[in-house]
Amino acid sequence: MDALHDPALPLVPPLRADRPRLPPLLPETLHPSLWRAHQLGRSADHALPSGFSLLDAQLPGGGWPRRVLTELLLPHPGIGEIRLLAASLATIQRAGRLVMMFDPPAAVSAPALAELGLDVEQLLVIHTHLQLRPGADRLWALEQALKSGHVGAVVAWLPARLRCERVRRLQLAAHAHDGPAFVLREVAAQVQASAAPLRLALHPAGADQLALRLLKRRGPPLLAPLHLALPPVLSAAALRRAQAGDDASQLPLRAATFINLA
Amino acid sequence: MLWVGLHLPLLSLESFAATLPPEQAVQPLALMDAHRIVSANACAQTLGVQAGQKRATALSLAPQLLLGQADERRDLAALTSVAHAALAFTPAVSLSLPATVLLEVQASLRYFGGREPLLEKLRAALAPLGHQLQCVSAPTAQGAALLSRVQDDLHCAGRSALQQALEAAPLWLLAAGHEHAQALQGMGLHSVGDARRLPRAGLARRFGPGLLDELDCALGDRPDPREPVVLPPAFHSQLELFARADTTEQLLYGAQVLLARLVAWLSAQHAFVCRFSLLMKHEPRWSGAGPKADALRCPLPKGSKKTWGGPAFSWGAESPWVSELEIALAEPSRDATHMLALLRERLGALQLPAPTLELALQSSDISRRPPPNAELFPTPQSEHAGLTRLIERLQARLGREQVQRLMPLADHRPERATAVQPVEPLWLRTREAAALRREQGCSPTPGTAITRPLWLLPQALALQERNSRPLLEGRALQLLAGPERIEAGWWDGSLAERDYFIAQTVEGALVWLYRGRLPLPAGGAGWYLQGRFA
Repeated sequence: MDALHDPALPLVPPLRADRPRLPPLLPETLHPSLWRAHQLGRSADHALPSGFSLLDAQLPGGGWPRRVLTELLLPHPGIGEIRLLAASLATIQRAGRLVMMFDPPAAVSAPALAELGLDVEQLLVIHTHLQLRPGADRLWALEQALKSGHVGAVVAWLPARLRCERVRRLQLAAHAHDGPAFVLREVAAQVQASAAPLRLALHPAGADQLALRLLKRRGPPLLAPLHLALPPVLSAAALRRAQAGDDASQLPLRAATFINLA
Repeated sequence: MLWVGLHLPLLSLESFAATLPPEQAVQPLALMDAHRIVSANACAQTLGVQAGQKRATALSLAPQLLLGQADERRDLAALTSVAHAALAFTPAVSLSLPATVLLEVQASLRYFGGREPLLEKLRAALAPLGHQLQCVSAPTAQGAALLSRVQDDLHCAGRSALQQALEAAPLWLLAAGHEHAQALQGMGLHSVGDARRLPRAGLARRFGPGLLDELDCALGDRPDPREPVVLPPAFHSQLELFARADTTEQLLYGAQVLLARLVAWLSAQHAFVCRFSLLMKHEPRWSGAGPKADALRCPLPKGSKKTWGGPAFSWGAESPWVSELEIALAEPSRDATHMLALLRERLGALQLPAPTLELALQSSDISRRPPPNAELFPTPQSEHAGLTRLIERLQARLGREQVQRLMPLADHRPERATAVQPVEPLWLRTREAAALRREQGCSPTPGTAITRPLWLLPQALALQERNSRPLLEGRALQLLAGPERIEAGWWDGSLAERDYFIAQTVEGALVWLYRGRLPLPAGGAGWYLQGRFA
C-alpha cells in the first residue's frame, strides 16, 4: 500500500544536484479523485464509518461513501442487511438528519427499529408501488429525495430489472445528496452493468454472520469475501446450538466455514 | 415627490400571448378590434402586418398570422397584477390607463437604498409577469406617465429637467393633443415645447382647456390627485385560454401566469399563501350523463358564479362544468416554482372530463409572517424548509398516505406494535422538538439486544411440518431460541396465544416463527412464519 517504496513507481529525478531533493510527484497527491490501480480510492467528502472495522478497511475512503449510490445485492430480504447499515444510519440520525426508506420489502416493525438503535422519529417510509404508474413513480420519488439534498440517508429497494441509464440517472442525482444512498436489489442484478461506484453482494453466512463480496469499488478488486459478525440476535447459548446443529445436519461445507472462522 | 412611471408598451399583445401555449406565442400574432389590426408582434411586423390594416390585408400578408381579439378586461387584469407587484415597494400605486402604472417612491428610497437599487428590484419583481417595461422617474405623476410612453431609463431629478424633457416630447402624447393632432400639425406644432411657447388664452380657446390642464399637471403647476390601487382582500384571477386545452400539461402554461399574479398579490401584502384553488371551466358536453364525480367537486352551486365576475363569462342555464383543484400547502409559501411543481403533480393525476376553456385561480387563505432569512450556507432552518417541500412534493404525486411515519405502540402482538401514519405538515416541527428532548437526555436508550425482527410479513405464513419440525421452502428450519410466549389481546377480540421461536434457515438467515398454543384449532397449521431478522 505504501507507494513510496514501490519499485515499479517512476520517481521524478531532481533536475539539478544542488537543489534540495523534492518529494517525488505522486499522482495521488495531485487530486483526491486520482489513485493508482493498487490503491484504494479516496473521496473529497469524508466517508461515513460503517461500524465494522473489517469492512471500513476495504471501502474506499474508509466507510460508506457520500454523494454516490451504494448498491447492495442480496438473495432475499432478511439476511442482516439492516443490521449491516444500522450503525451508519444511527450516526446520521444522531446528527439530526432524516432517513428515508423507499419501498421496504415488508412491513417495518417499530420496536425492532428501536432495538437496532434507530430512531423512528427520524425515519420516513415511502411506498411508491401502490400507485397507477408503478415504475415511473418509484424512480421519480427516489430521484427527488436525492436531488433535494436535505435527506440524511436514503435506503431504497429497487427491482433487479432496471435499465442501466436509470441507475445512471439516480447516480447523477445522488451528487446533490450529502449522505449515503443505499440501493438494495436482488442478486440477479449482479450481471448487469451499474453506474453505482460501489457494489456489494451480501450472502448469509450462518447465524449472525454476513458474507460480503465487493463486486466493484474504486480500487483493486477484492476476491475473498469478507465475513462480518452482525449485532447478535442470538444469545451465546443459541449461537453454540446453531453451530452444533450445523454439525449435526449433513452439511460438511458449512461446518468447514465455521471452523475457519473459529 | 418622486414618481416612477412604468409603461408596458406591449401589454395587450403580452396578455394575449399569455393565453397561448409557449410554442404559439412566438409565432406572428396580431390583435384586432372592430375588424382592424390594432397591434402586431415583432414577428408579424417583419412580415408587413401593421396597425390599421384590415383583417383580410393582414392575412394575405401573413397567412399563418394568429389573430386575437383585443380585450380591455384582459389587459386590465394584467396591468392590475403589475400594480400589485409594485405595491411591495410603495403604498402609493395608481393606474394610468391604458398601460401605465405609477408609483410614488420618495418615501421608499431610503429603505431600498436609493433610486437605482429600487428600480433594479422593481424590475426583478416584475420579471416573472413577463412584460416589457419602460421606466421613467420624474417629480410629477403626469410627467412620469407621459415620458414613460416614449422613453426608457430616464430620470428627471427636478422640475427643470422634467420641463426640458417634456418640451422635447411629441405633442400627441397628450390626450387633447391626440384628439386635435391634425389641427396641431397644420399649425406646425410638433413638440410640447412648441405648444408652450404659444399664448395660453389662444390655445385654450382653440383646443379647449384640457390641453393646458394636462400640460400644467405634467409640469407640476396644477394639483394632480391620483386614486391609489387598493389590494383586494381575496385573490381571484382568471384567464380565458385562446385554444381549448385537452391535456393537463397545456393547462400548466396558463396556471403559470396565474401563479405569477398570485405571487404579485402576495408580495404586495408581504404574505404567504396557505391554500389556493385552481378552477377549470370545461367545454359543456351533452353526451355524457354528467362530469365524473370522482375527479370533480362540481358543478358549483349557482350562487358561486359571481366569484367569476364579469358579464363576459356567461354561465348559461345549463350547469356550469367547473372542476376545482384545491392545493393546501404544508408550509405557507410564496415560491411560484414550488407551487407550480405541486400543481403539475396534482394535475398529472387528474382526469379532465372535458377540454378546458378557462382557468381561474383563487385564494383567500394567507398567513402574514416575516420573510425567511436568506442564507449563504445550509442551516437546519433551510434543511427543514427543503424537507417540508420534498415531503409535500412526494405527497402531491404519490398520495398523502404513501409517505408514512412509524410509531411504536405498547402492544406485545408484533403485528400491532407499530402504528403507521401519514406524515402531517407539522410533523417536522414535532420531530425537532423530539430531537431537543433527546439532547436533554430523556430518550429511550437505543441499541439494546435485538429480540424482534425488522421485516414483518403482512400476513403470517403457514408453514408445513415434517417430523414435527417446520419447513420453509421445503427445507427444515433449525430452532435456535425460544419459546417466548406472547399471549395478549383477550380484551379486544383478537386473542393471540403464540409461542415464538427464532430459527435459522439452511443458508443461515434468521427468521421468527410461532406455533399456536395447543390444542390447535381444527385444520389450523401448527407453525407460522411472521418475520425475518434483517
